[in-house]
Amino acid sequence: MIYVVRRLLASIITLFLASFFVFFAVQALPGDVAQQLLGQNATPEAVETLREKLGLNQGIWTRYFDWLGSAVRGDLGTSLVSGEPVSTTLWTAFTHTLLIAIPAMIIGIAISVLLGVWAAARRGRRADNTISVLSLITMSIPEFVVATVLIIVFAIAIPIFPAVVLQGPSASFSDLFPAMWLPIATLVFSMVAYIIRSTRSSTIDGLTTEYATTAELKGVKRRVVLLRHVLPTAMLPVLPVISINVAWLLGGVVVTETVFNYPGVGKLMIDSVSTRDLPVLQAIALLSACVYVLVNLAADLLALLLDPRQRTSGRASKRQRPDPALEAKTSEASG
Amino acid sequence: MAQLVTRRTLLQGAVAGLAVGGLAGCGAPPLTLPESAARGEPALGGTMRIARPAASAAETLDPASSLSAYEYLGALYNRLVKLDIKGNTIPDLAAEWSTNSDATQWVFKLRAGVSFHNGQPFTARDVRYTILHILDPDTASPQAETLLTMIGPNRVDAVDDQTVRFRLKTPNAEFPSLLTAYQCYIIPQGSAATIGSTGIGTGPFRLDSYRPAGAGSVVVNEDYFDGRPVLDRIEFFAIQDTSARVNSLLSSQVDLLSQTNMDDATARVVIGSRGTTVARVPDAQWYTIPMLATSKEFKDPTVRRAMKLCYDSETLLQTAIQGTGSGGWDNPVPPTMAARAPGQRPYDPDRARALLKRAGKDGLQVAIYTSAYEPNLTPIAIAYAEQARKAGIDLKITSVSADSYYTSVWMSKPLMVSYWYTGRPVDQLLNQVFRSGSSYNESAWSNKRFDQVLDSARADTNETSRRAKYQDAQQIIVDDGADMTPIFGDRIVGLSDRVVNYDEYGFEFDYLNIGLKAQSQ
Repeated sequence: MIYVVRRLLASIITLFLASFFVFFAVQALPGDVAQQLLGQNATPEAVETLREKLGLNQGIWTRYFDWLGSAVRGDLGTSLVSGEPVSTTLWTAFTHTLLIAIPAMIIGIAISVLLGVWAAARRGRRADNTISVLSLITMSIPEFVVATVLIIVFAIAIPIFPAVVLQGPSASFSDLFPAMWLPIATLVFSMVAYIIRSTRSSTIDGLTTEYATTAELKGVKRRVVLLRHVLPTAMLPVLPVISINVAWLLGGVVVTETVFNYPGVGKLMIDSVSTRDLPVLQAIALLSACVYVLVNLAADLLALLLDPRQRTSGRASKRQRPDPALEAKTSEASG
Repeated sequence: MAQLVTRRTLLQGAVAGLAVGGLAGCGAPPLTLPESAARGEPALGGTMRIARPAASAAETLDPASSLSAYEYLGALYNRLVKLDIKGNTIPDLAAEWSTNSDATQWVFKLRAGVSFHNGQPFTARDVRYTILHILDPDTASPQAETLLTMIGPNRVDAVDDQTVRFRLKTPNAEFPSLLTAYQCYIIPQGSAATIGSTGIGTGPFRLDSYRPAGAGSVVVNEDYFDGRPVLDRIEFFAIQDTSARVNSLLSSQVDLLSQTNMDDATARVVIGSRGTTVARVPDAQWYTIPMLATSKEFKDPTVRRAMKLCYDSETLLQTAIQGTGSGGWDNPVPPTMAARAPGQRPYDPDRARALLKRAGKDGLQVAIYTSAYEPNLTPIAIAYAEQARKAGIDLKITSVSADSYYTSVWMSKPLMVSYWYTGRPVDQLLNQVFRSGSSYNESAWSNKRFDQVLDSARADTNETSRRAKYQDAQQIIVDDGADMTPIFGDRIVGLSDRVVNYDEYGFEFDYLNIGLKAQSQ
């Protein structure tokens, strides 16, 4: 329990630090907000008036604490560009991102764990080699190439799916539904390789442990050994890899969303960078910091469930001195 | 490992092969572009879909604003006067106009029987209201500065329903041409607060739906005074990323890409793909190389002269943009316009070298800034630097982020490559970009004699001698100016092969005649 509380406190401090860095990093962006807002044709007088109006001439610390104070109360400010509340704009974009991120997550994790375990079970044989080479290839092809190839094949050569989302932020579910599949495929393609490879290697480790060998020698079926005894432990080192990928998906996938003109958080971020819409930009960065912290927290708690050692390790040390030999074994297995 | 390489190569091959379609495997033959857009008899009606880059999330339908949604304007509104393709001022909502003997007073007679989309009749009071809206400092209209040098709010009179009078502070025989700017579309009286989203004008289409930086549509105005447009409906979609925009065309989601000048490679793909082609808008991009006249490098006119003599516009045109445009020869008036001064400056790298020596700038070294802001800026910088080297000028090509190009480089670095859209009437062009102290004077050049020539041209009511004066002004720019015009580039526009009669000039689409061919079945 203490562990969970400590973990939560750490998360809050992380978020606070993130807000600090976000704010000051955004301030350091090149270019002038007022100039960008008014466009290239603006007169210097108009630019100066706008700077005054936006409070850009105020001290930086004053602006930081004002912003943080309202952000804590759920008020992310108003967009400098559209004049709409940032929370509404960001929420719409976030739901659009969820629409592609969640299916990509489910499909991606399912496929990659399955393939990873399969490759490990068939270690050194053709299935393993094929999976390994394919995952190496997907790892080395950048997202935008995958996206472009998918568009060329499935939107231009064989027009099954639309190439881009035309409707922008106001797109309804029925507008997005046909257009979400190519982005989902792109995302799955770019995340699976990492999960496959870590699942494979930790499953192989699991298969060579003494308890797995013992179970097999006792006549337990290989499939049961794999699923009941090896897999739960093997998933432990994979969890952080999965959590990083999930956080990446939820934080807005800039490249994929840009190529498909998909109105999610990633595209909102790119547009806000080009228009110097600082409140939106800060809110996005804060959102993705929250997502990272929460997803990591969830992964840690899940690990706690999967691994009894992590739950009891605190108490165990009080009751008895651990056997040094056992200690060495444990750290080897988890490391 | 070998297997991996083959797979990747195969994949890349597949991408390239699919992309260029019919051209696959031919290396890179010289690109033959259709000279102009397809002409023909369109089917009456139909819906055209246009993909466009949004000005920003704050874009508006208010024509006076610097963030107006350009593609909508010509469909929704009319101006008093507009430019024809040669740059002459022709009637739009004004039927005729006249001036007094010294060109200080202009009277416009308006078309009768024109109504706005909401049924309100169009009168002189709407014109007065529109002009005051443009002049209002709160509007921050880009055209305000130009107009304020001649008129103030109390110098525009609605004489009667059909007559507007402008009383100018200084004579200007070219005054009507200044009202052709795309900020000068007429909006109904009292609409300033709402026009940004209602889009009520007198134009060939009425607004159906609109969302800033999103999708929108306009439908035909059956009662349009100049006849019914061909199309029933136009849909506009905002796509910021250029390659996403091209993909939307290739996958037949849209019929035309607006404000998208395609580079050579993209044009090849679009021509080679089924159902799509390209059209050229001749000399639509005016490329410039401003030398900052206030910088220590270029304050000496002799150095500036050498920077011009050292290069050949025709060669640069071929090298940088494969000849799809015209040589500029440092005269900013595009060759499509009747007002361009005839003749061209010499090309003489030896003399350029001698001039530099005389100015004590032998072997001049300076950075030339460029950016991916527009696809042709860097090719132009490279082609120019290549030629300048023959005169012993060492230009270091410095590419910077497109994001801050116009905020941190433009008007502050001594040498850079930039561009404008053509379509300004000659008086506005020369006054806005070259007159001393104008806020668009990108080279900070100041020449008293040039300013005087412009003033005397404005005061000259004789068309022939006035034109001669504007041509003298152009000559001063060629000889002494600090803003070079290496080339004019054709805009290469991607469109569906069903689109006919596409035309775009003077900052406006020809929305009346553009249409789609009947779908062949």
